[in-house]
Amino acid sequence: MSELVFDGVSVRYGTRRHALTAVDGARLTVPGGQVVGLVGESGSGKSTLARAAVGLAPLSAGRVLVNGTDTRRSRGRRRPVQMIFQDPYSSLNPRMTVAASVAEAFPRERGGSRAARHAEVARLLGQVGLDADLAALLPGQLSGGQRQRVAVARALAARPQVVIADEITSALDVSVQGAVLNLVRDVQRELRLTMLFISHDLAVVRYVSDHIAVMYLGRIVEVGPTEEVLADPRHPYTRELLAAVHGHTAGPRKDAETVTDTEPADPHHPPSGCRFHPRCPEGPAVRAEREVCRTDDPVSDAASRPRRTACHFATATATATALPERGLRDRVRENGNP
Amino acid sequence: MSPRRSPRSSPRKPHAATPRPRWSAVARTPLGACAGLLLLAVIALAVLAPVLWSGRASVVDTGALQQGPSGAHLLGTDNLGRDILYRVLVATRLSVSLAVAATLLGVSLGLVLGAAPAVLPRRAGRLVTSAVNVTVAFPGLLLALFFAVIFGVGAKGAVLAIGLATAPAFARLTHTLSASVAGRDHVAAARTLGVGRLRLLTRHILPNIAEPLAVNATIGAGASLLAFAGLSFLGLGVQAPDYDWGRLLGEGLDRIDLTPAAALAPCAAVVVTGLAFNLFGEAAAAALGIRTLRHRTTSPRPAPQAPSKGSDRKRESRPVLLVEDLQVALPGPSGWSTPVRRVSFTLWPGEAVGVVGESGAGKSLTAMAVSRLVELPAHVTAHRLEFDGTSLLGPGPRELRALLGTSMAMVFQDPMSSFNPVMSVGRQLAEVAEHHRRLSRRSAFEQAVDQLRAVRVPAPERRARQYPHEFSGGMRQRAMIGMGLMGDPKVIIADEPTTALDVTVQRQVLRLLDTVRTERATAVLLISHDITAVARTCDRVLVMYAGRIVEDLPAAGLLTEARHPYTRALLSAVPDLDTDRNRPLAVIPGRPPQPHRLPPGCAFAPRCPRSDDLCRRKDPRPVTYATGQRVACWHPVEGEPAPKAPPGQGAAEHGGPGPRLERAANGDVEESTGGPTV
Repeated sequence: MSELVFDGVSVRYGTRRHALTAVDGARLTVPGGQVVGLVGESGSGKSTLARAAVGLAPLSAGRVLVNGTDTRRSRGRRRPVQMIFQDPYSSLNPRMTVAASVAEAFPRERGGSRAARHAEVARLLGQVGLDADLAALLPGQLSGGQRQRVAVARALAARPQVVIADEITSALDVSVQGAVLNLVRDVQRELRLTMLFISHDLAVVRYVSDHIAVMYLGRIVEVGPTEEVLADPRHPYTRELLAAVHGHTAGPRKDAETVTDTEPADPHHPPSGCRFHPRCPEGPAVRAEREVCRTDDPVSDAASRPRRTACHFATATATATALPERGLRDRVRENGNP
Repeated sequence: MSPRRSPRSSPRKPHAATPRPRWSAVARTPLGACAGLLLLAVIALAVLAPVLWSGRASVVDTGALQQGPSGAHLLGTDNLGRDILYRVLVATRLSVSLAVAATLLGVSLGLVLGAAPAVLPRRAGRLVTSAVNVTVAFPGLLLALFFAVIFGVGAKGAVLAIGLATAPAFARLTHTLSASVAGRDHVAAARTLGVGRLRLLTRHILPNIAEPLAVNATIGAGASLLAFAGLSFLGLGVQAPDYDWGRLLGEGLDRIDLTPAAALAPCAAVVVTGLAFNLFGEAAAAALGIRTLRHRTTSPRPAPQAPSKGSDRKRESRPVLLVEDLQVALPGPSGWSTPVRRVSFTLWPGEAVGVVGESGAGKSLTAMAVSRLVELPAHVTAHRLEFDGTSLLGPGPRELRALLGTSMAMVFQDPMSSFNPVMSVGRQLAEVAEHHRRLSRRSAFEQAVDQLRAVRVPAPERRARQYPHEFSGGMRQRAMIGMGLMGDPKVIIADEPTTALDVTVQRQVLRLLDTVRTERATAVLLISHDITAVARTCDRVLVMYAGRIVEDLPAAGLLTEARHPYTRALLSAVPDLDTDRNRPLAVIPGRPPQPHRLPPGCAFAPRCPRSDDLCRRKDPRPVTYATGQRVACWHPVEGEPAPKAPPGQGAAEHGGPGPRLERAANGDVEESTGGPTV
């Protein structure tokens, strides 16, 4: 089982005034055979981080390591990290049959005979719950859910050590979403894949992941075991995300609401200090004494705080109200430590 | 189109699944068929004419020099007494083959140049692109003349000249098309797999742009034919003793006053052949759908000339919207289909009603039909369709616009396409007030700023002067709602207004809609695939399946009182923060039926764990319960008092709820549907 490590990864686009730091010094470890869920709003850099791991986005700093080896060294046909894309309607070549799309992903050394390749395609399609008869079809003849299954089969065909799933269900209907999530979970457990699972939907991420990482404006602001992060979120942004899912539990905080109503920050001109401070319902916009949020960047000493939370008041504001479900946590632990 | 789409695109609309077009479709259009036949005739002539008539075309008859049309020579003779008709026919081969050769040269050169940036390293690719961009700036015929002089006079020189002159435009086209394909995810996926650049080009990019390229090459052939005729006419092309149409035209033109046929015949040949190439290309383009797709032209902007009837706004007893048996029919290849079937609902002032369902269930189409935005060839019928007491079925488009313009506001998923990109947001809002309330430009703008403030856009004075692209998605959606509110609407129809937004922003927009509703008693019809968002915002929920409302129930009772198995299945398919992580998620097996292939009975029956023979045979009618809940199901999930439906309708006909129903009332629907099935 391979471990995926983002070691201070930064991705920067453009130069000088138009420069945009999409990902800023991200540190994240996806332990072997486990699933880390990455949540955050659009523009927070989730997808860019994923694309950096597979070489689709240029690294301006840091490294992406798989089992300690820099992914940039594994050039050529054998790529250790594979990705499943968001939109199954554009991620399959409309002019290539299902079989051709899947077979293209086979590592070169395993060329083999035509019949062997056929058998392998059929095996992979079976693994993702598709009929082998679909192999001869073009993507246009498949439903969205079927296409996404083909995309999963293609990723598996490359025999990856790590799989990145980037918003793989957000283009699908809820009825299909469940089926694809079940599939991804089953395949991950069966093959003990290391997986980075990206989604904006906290409930989906919770269902699939062993750990959760929260991203805001290019930075990872909190990382921890799923049930701990959800039961006792340390970063105010994580709390906001949770409140958005719960809806009613947000509570009537009129002043805080107006704060979170402010516009998301412009990634071209990130705010000083803590990047979340203009929107933070517990920050300087509401509590005047928390001036430190405007001036000091909490990321620099995040490692010293629990769950590497990028918030100056991570310990002060943490409210240990709801304890995590005991049984659930134990079961997740079991899965996590084989 | 930007290569990176918003990460939260909604379930795709059916257009994405249409099968790719085929060339045979070209021949089926009348224009395509005519152009194809014409082209075939020209090609046949080019092959056969020299074989059949080259002898007669070169016979010199000194007894009949420069004659007009006669029985022996239908189009007359030239200055050596040769028959012009035969000469024009025989010249087809040379004219057409030279034009095709030049086009081939141009296309292949263009293809190489255009595709090179995708294969070459970045810097070299940029160099090629800039070089092509520079050459595109020169007019084609000028380039051809320039090259003709360089390569020398003669057919070979002319082919090179015209070929080189067409190359830059074609290179540009190839480059643009391949750049748009290169941005797609399947190319990114191939790169992730480590597919080499050349294979990327030949396997992933070129096949996807082949059709537009072929079409443009055909049209290009027509253009080169014309260019060739021009060059030959000027004496720069084909040299004697060879002849093509341009040369014949040049020879005949001297005597156009005496024997016009000698000049007109080659002219006609050029025109007909050029037309054949061009028309075929155009027909192919049209049939293959290469021309820019037509988008829905409806604007959510309130129309200007609406009469203001603020006085009768307060009559609470009248529903804002009354829909009875609404039906939308669409013509398709296999006859008419009805994606919206017998939809009935009422919307009261200040009420928020949500419409949920899978994509293709007819949610959006219902909204469009209600707001009379469905265009031909779709056909909308209804038993009753009333807006604030006025029927929407009678009046013509003008009156409708006057009626609905300001009192019905639409909010779409993508506010960017609903705004005019070259007009400031404030101006666009102000325009509504300017026309509708006849305000001055200045006070209308002030109103717009006030409105932006009302929809909680921060710093409204500054933001009003900004353009739509300077707004973030959430802010744009707020401005859109603000624009709808400028006309003081009675109802806001919001079609997936938060699907493209982030969860935190989504909550803000929904809260805004809620505030508007409570403060102004505006009714809201919220269409969404997100059942939890709807449950949180709305009073009532309409669940749609295969074009029909299968359940209509209070949002508060969604989790506990839903009776239709589809509603239950939909609810259990959405994971929430309490979902058991160690059990597979509930799924709904199968797919929703296509609107043109509906089963005879209940449309949900093939996917329903509770279905039996009756369900497959007979479509259930909606049954109203005491609570006002409406359910269209033979075997609703029970647990509440019996329906007050007349006997003979609904479950009563089947002997009432059996023990099976009680089992599923405990939420066991997911059990029987577990396991990955799509």
